[in-house]
Amino acid sequence: MGWFRGRVLALEGLEMEVQKGEVFGLLGPNGSGKSTAMKMILGLLRPTSGSAEVCGFRAGTIAARRQIGFLPENPYFPIFLSGAELVRYYGRLSGLGGAGLEKRVKELLELVRLGGEAGKRPLRTYSKGMLQRAGLAGALVGDPEILMLDEPTAGVDPAGSREIRDLILELKARGKTVIFSSHLLEQVEDVADRVIILHRGKKLREGRLEDLLTRKNEWEVKVQGLPEGDRQELLAWMKKKGGQVVREGAPRERLEDYFLRSLPEETRR
Amino acid sequence: MIGCLRRISAVAGNTFLEAVRQKVFAVLLVFALVLIGGANYFTEFSFQEQFKFLKDLGYAAISLTGLLVGLLGAAQLIPGEIERRTILTALCRPLRRWEFVVGKYFGLTTYLALMVVIMALAVWGVLGWKEGQFLRAEGLDSEAAAAIRAEAMDPRLLQAVLLVGAKLAVVAALAVFFSTIATSTTFVMAMTLLVYLIGHLQSVAREQWLETGEVTRWTVRIFLAGVALLVPDFNLYNLIDEIVAGNVVVWRTTLEVLGYSGVYIGVLLAAAACMFEGRDI
Repeated sequence: MGWFRGRVLALEGLEMEVQKGEVFGLLGPNGSGKSTAMKMILGLLRPTSGSAEVCGFRAGTIAARRQIGFLPENPYFPIFLSGAELVRYYGRLSGLGGAGLEKRVKELLELVRLGGEAGKRPLRTYSKGMLQRAGLAGALVGDPEILMLDEPTAGVDPAGSREIRDLILELKARGKTVIFSSHLLEQVEDVADRVIILHRGKKLREGRLEDLLTRKNEWEVKVQGLPEGDRQELLAWMKKKGGQVVREGAPRERLEDYFLRSLPEETRR
Repeated sequence: MIGCLRRISAVAGNTFLEAVRQKVFAVLLVFALVLIGGANYFTEFSFQEQFKFLKDLGYAAISLTGLLVGLLGAAQLIPGEIERRTILTALCRPLRRWEFVVGKYFGLTTYLALMVVIMALAVWGVLGWKEGQFLRAEGLDSEAAAAIRAEAMDPRLLQAVLLVGAKLAVVAALAVFFSTIATSTTFVMAMTLLVYLIGHLQSVAREQWLETGEVTRWTVRIFLAGVALLVPDFNLYNLIDEIVAGNVVVWRTTLEVLGYSGVYIGVLLAAAACMFEGRDI
């Protein structure tokens, strides 16, 4: 912390394991230790005690870092570069070069929809969403096994946020492991297989979303096209059988879905 | 090995590009070029005095501009990256920290070298222009013409350019060293400038420590030894003034100073890499 300012224990007794091919969510309020945990896995911070391993390699070593692509919380990129130059730079730092790198840069810029002229513009002219997409391309350039995303959708509009969510799912489909933190819990719910909840550097909960969120003593059915009379009859039958109707009525669409549906097609993309 | 060189060159290339795209450096360069070009209009001296004035001013402009760019550039190298947090996205890659430090240094020194070459070419251009003006004057005998040519196109000026470059490279290495332990750009600039100034007194400290025997207090002797051993002797680069004054400086001496600079740069970069290795980002 600096001279005469003492130390802060950012993480204490954290134990966690992420399986290959999993989408793992790090949740917690500000200052709970999410970014610190990520930095330790990347070797940017050294733990006072304890250790971490990445694909069998000690965290922070070159071999471990080769397995990870990282996107920081805010777009901390050299803004004097263009999108393509940024991805090329990160590719060269990852040990790539030559025609292979150029091909990869082009592919990734297309993947994050920054191909063509957009990729040639300086980063300082990019919107937050474009910066995050450029950063994602940079994180993917070394073809890492693990993608670590710190608040990937912070400050990004709903359309951009949806794109990043879709990209996470696409990466999962390609067999990549994704570790990400987010305050947007709905989004975490959409994509994460497992989550860990941190608070003041300590683990509060960890588990599969299915196990953590399913209310085992409740049952939910979504029905379409049932006439009003039959609906009343069904409700009466359920009550007769001893069931307690907790919620009943027309389901509401999520605001995010409604908002995106309201936008013109080209804006949504 | 190839991967290592590729990563160092990537960091160096990026640092060079950043420096090239910094407007403040371009403005400093233009300012220096205007100063060098403007010196041509001082015509109130004899031709020897005019050539000496042009060389003096030219090399002072190269030194001062290079020093400013070196200080500003190096101060931003690592603390600037930490402040902007762009360092996170570089060091999370399979890049060793010493590769980052060395790459940053080479990027900056390449830019400094480019600036020195541009400014030196401007100085030679102005000298050549002046030579043409004098040679076109009426009633000039062949002896006087030869003297003018010798003053204008003195090959020893190359030695001066190399020495200026070496001095700036040592200053940049010092700044890189401080940037690996500092948290602010102001600290890096202040410390580098301080050591640069102390470096001009290093020979005095060394003499007091080793030769005179006047200093007996052990605390003062330790201080003097520290200055003599740790601080580079910037007085060695005063050879530039000798060359500009027209005195003969043999190549062997120049090469010795270049070698001394190379050793200091190596030591400073190794120390910088060690300090940076254990630093939390």
